[in-house]
Amino acid sequence: MPKSILITGASKGIGAATAERFFYADNDITDLILLARESEEFEKLIGRFADDNPHGKRVFPHFIDLADRARIVGLMRDVMAEAGKVDILINNAGYTAPCALQQISFADFERTMGVNVYAPFTIVQELLHCGNTFELIVNIASTAGMSGRPGWLTYGASKAAVINMSEAIKEELSIYGTRVVCISPGRCATDLRRKLAPDEDPSTIMQPEHVASVIDMLASDVGHLVDSQNFVVRR
Amino acid sequence: MYSLMLLNGGIGNRVAAGRPKQFIEVAGRPIIVYSLVAADAVPEIDQIVLNYPEGFREEIEHLVADYAVQTPVTYVAAGASRHESVAAMLPECRNDRVLIHESARPLVGTADFKQLVADPRENVSLMLPIPFTVAPVDPDTALVTGSLERDRLRNVQLPQKFLKADLAEAHEQARDRRLVFTEDATLCAVTGHEVHFIDGQDTNIKVTTPTDVKLAGFLLGGDDDA
Repeated sequence: MPKSILITGASKGIGAATAERFFYADNDITDLILLARESEEFEKLIGRFADDNPHGKRVFPHFIDLADRARIVGLMRDVMAEAGKVDILINNAGYTAPCALQQISFADFERTMGVNVYAPFTIVQELLHCGNTFELIVNIASTAGMSGRPGWLTYGASKAAVINMSEAIKEELSIYGTRVVCISPGRCATDLRRKLAPDEDPSTIMQPEHVASVIDMLASDVGHLVDSQNFVVRR
Repeated sequence: MYSLMLLNGGIGNRVAAGRPKQFIEVAGRPIIVYSLVAADAVPEIDQIVLNYPEGFREEIEHLVADYAVQTPVTYVAAGASRHESVAAMLPECRNDRVLIHESARPLVGTADFKQLVADPRENVSLMLPIPFTVAPVDPDTALVTGSLERDRLRNVQLPQKFLKADLAEAHEQARDRRLVFTEDATLCAVTGHEVHFIDGQDTNIKVTTPTDVKLAGFLLGGDDDA
């Protein structure tokens, strides 16, 4: 049966790697709904998909800042109008501006919570209100949400919220048969990681494609055997 | 195709003081949601006829939308009694075959509805064997008046399915003969319609007391790992 997948933060890192993996595979995913802020990387990804579409899949790109909750609400109606449904949702978009407690601006803390916590919540809730039920939701948290670290207060707190929220969503959406998995990647070579650990050599750590392969597994038949409230992925 | 009459109009004084029991929460969700979602996943049900206690229609409509129920819902004001409610809901059913369920049974599953739909007979109720001994008594004199064979008795459950015409005729007879029944399988049987039964699940309890709320919450919490 044809399925659709919605990926947030699709312009780069884990989001882009996941989009590429599902786009180029000969699988039952026929529609890809990709959300990201406007950027050169996102334009290039969309261009690549337009130039080389071996399986004739439909791609619906949307430029959006996920800190803008009102826009998310409107966009979910548009998504339902164009794609008809969202079977698989990958809440991947993340934001961080590492900072010591004494120097954190509250606006930045709010933005972190907005992108990392309120956005995935709003997407799930609005799509439900549009009459959509999901087959699978994957929320990307972080091992940073499992223990507090100096300088990562806002990011760690937001990811801890994602882990807890995922447990509640898993229980609440069980009535629809929806599978909900929270993934907590360890060190992964993304732009966000570069902000958290600027001196690290990214070639020595886990790559976004590795996390994308785990997401692919979760969407496969084998994924039905995974019952985890927080699935740690690390190299 | 089937119309599901989802009885939802009663005020549960024993469970929730002053508030309709279909709004009480079991395992974090309003109890009515479980029946709506289970029925929504049955392709053969293309209409849900839902009654609502006076003053609560808007709240019920919000729940239907919030919980992504896609089957079209027809709203009917609850009657003063179950009889009146069913009588008011039946003409709103647009299919010749109807299912009846009540929101106070949140443990119903999609498989229960599908089992009834798949049954080739027209009038069928889920019923449960009685695992304990019951006795006929005279409550006025506190005397035991005989014995009953429990193998020949069943605990009547919902959901049930009927031919709409049979159910309508049974309710008409009941009105004419001033018969009062608390459910429709025995009503149809007593008024001359053939009604069959299939075994239901003992988990499909009716939530009527605070203890039932706790028990239903426990049962809905999922299987514990060994």
